[in-house]
Amino acid sequence: MCGIAGYLSRRDEPQPVGRILLDMLRSLARRGPDSAGVALFRTEPAHREACWIRLPESGDAEAHEQRIVADLAVVGDVGAIERHHGLLRVELGPNDGPSTIRRAVERGGEEIEVVSVGRQLELIKQVGHPDDLAGTYDVEGFRGTHAIGHTRLSTESRVDLTHSQPFWARGVADLATVHNGHITNYHKMRRIYEQRGVRFFSENDSEIIGVYLADQLDRGLSLEQALEASLDDFDGSFTYLVANGESIGYARDPFALKPLVTVETDDYVAIANEEVAIRAALGTEGVAHEPSGHVFRLWRRSAAAAPAAA
Amino acid sequence: MSGAAAPAGERIVDAADRPIRDVNRDIRAALVEGAAVLVRNPGARHNLAVALLGSGDVRFDGSVGYYCGGMSDGASIRVSGSAGWGLAEGMLSGTVVVEGNAGNSAAASIRGGTVVVHGDCAARAGVAMKGGRLLIAGDAGYMTGFMMQKGVIAIAGNAGDALADSMYEGTVFVGGEIASLGNDTVVEDASDVEQAELEAAFAEFSLPRPPHFRRIVSGRKLWNFEKHELETWRAAL
Repeated sequence: MCGIAGYLSRRDEPQPVGRILLDMLRSLARRGPDSAGVALFRTEPAHREACWIRLPESGDAEAHEQRIVADLAVVGDVGAIERHHGLLRVELGPNDGPSTIRRAVERGGEEIEVVSVGRQLELIKQVGHPDDLAGTYDVEGFRGTHAIGHTRLSTESRVDLTHSQPFWARGVADLATVHNGHITNYHKMRRIYEQRGVRFFSENDSEIIGVYLADQLDRGLSLEQALEASLDDFDGSFTYLVANGESIGYARDPFALKPLVTVETDDYVAIANEEVAIRAALGTEGVAHEPSGHVFRLWRRSAAAAPAAA
Repeated sequence: MSGAAAPAGERIVDAADRPIRDVNRDIRAALVEGAAVLVRNPGARHNLAVALLGSGDVRFDGSVGYYCGGMSDGASIRVSGSAGWGLAEGMLSGTVVVEGNAGNSAAASIRGGTVVVHGDCAARAGVAMKGGRLLIAGDAGYMTGFMMQKGVIAIAGNAGDALADSMYEGTVFVGGEIASLGNDTVVEDASDVEQAELEAAFAEFSLPRPPHFRRIVSGRKLWNFEKHELETWRAAL
């Protein structure tokens, strides 16, 4: 099944989006407690990129960390470094962008993966229940404008950190996705992307969504246009959420096979598989609405709150 | 939404932080004693008020989750918020009224009774209906009335794609636009008698009603396999 949730504040001042997302994910965890993750967006871009990097499971973590930091130092000015549960967070000063960062770091070994890059985005995930995620990271304390999250029921691929969601749309700073469903033309699309040199890190069909969106943006499409195009380019069942620094949105397959509910108020937009998650996190305000199939939607932050385009 | 007044004789059941089985047990016990029930803090949780096998009034102060009112036989259920998937699924008789919107498969496979949705229904409302009525004051989504076998669906607003696809019997009425029709359907104007019946039905539940309904019924081409109509079957399957 999988549970997906999203929240966008319409207020200018930072909101407790970490706590809200956790409450939603805890409510949805019975849809699948194999792994949990969130993509949290701060209100204003930080001065440095936050790079989240997955460390290899084998070998000396200290040595891996040192090598990764050394590789990063070549492409930018390395700031604060934190080592978490299988993930390394490194702040990086002015650099040539996510692709350069990936090239520098991922050549260091098969198991090293840049999980996310962004000046607003913090993407954290791990195996287990959302409560476990909250135990490892200070999700509760995160304040920002918006966030998306995922709680996973593994159906076709392994349960580990690499196969967990959200997925970063690799190469595009601050763009992340979460997916509920099954993209049935995943293998076909993956082969095409691999022929073009795109590297995949998991066997999870949901990984293709970020790859696809990054490719569409690279072709000059807007995020709205990419969401719309995906309705016909993906086969199978999908309700997926997408978020970048200034917006949050969804796309849903033509048959409406996976649940999706939205609640809009003057203060926020909340999205989840089931209304129960929204009520658990945000109370009784607003009327829940389930759209039909073959639909997408993107909400932007208020003009006043949106950061200036980089 | 909160704070609905409870009239005399109405039993209040608080669903907050309690197992749904216990909540349903309390609802049934109250109905057996002849009391009406007001359920507070339903929190859009699933399987509320399922399999109520007698008459009586149950109100939900807020939203309900999946299968609310499913398999019920005679109860009158009212939801002040929205409802999730499979609203009143397999209902035999009674009424379920939702003041907000309904998710996928509202009134799926009902055999009797009336399901009323003040807002919109998502995909496949009235799928495989075997009797009863589904009244929708707003819009209805993809494949509404898919494979319905009996009964009436009336949509005051617009209908989505593949309306009433492969229906066997029964009637779908639409007041607004139809995005596209499903396989083997025929569109006609509703008769004066049907218009009057719809007017009465919508008035009974104080629903806004469009000035005119069109009627969609089965073309009956898919009832029996005809070799020379292979293309029809290809399209349908």
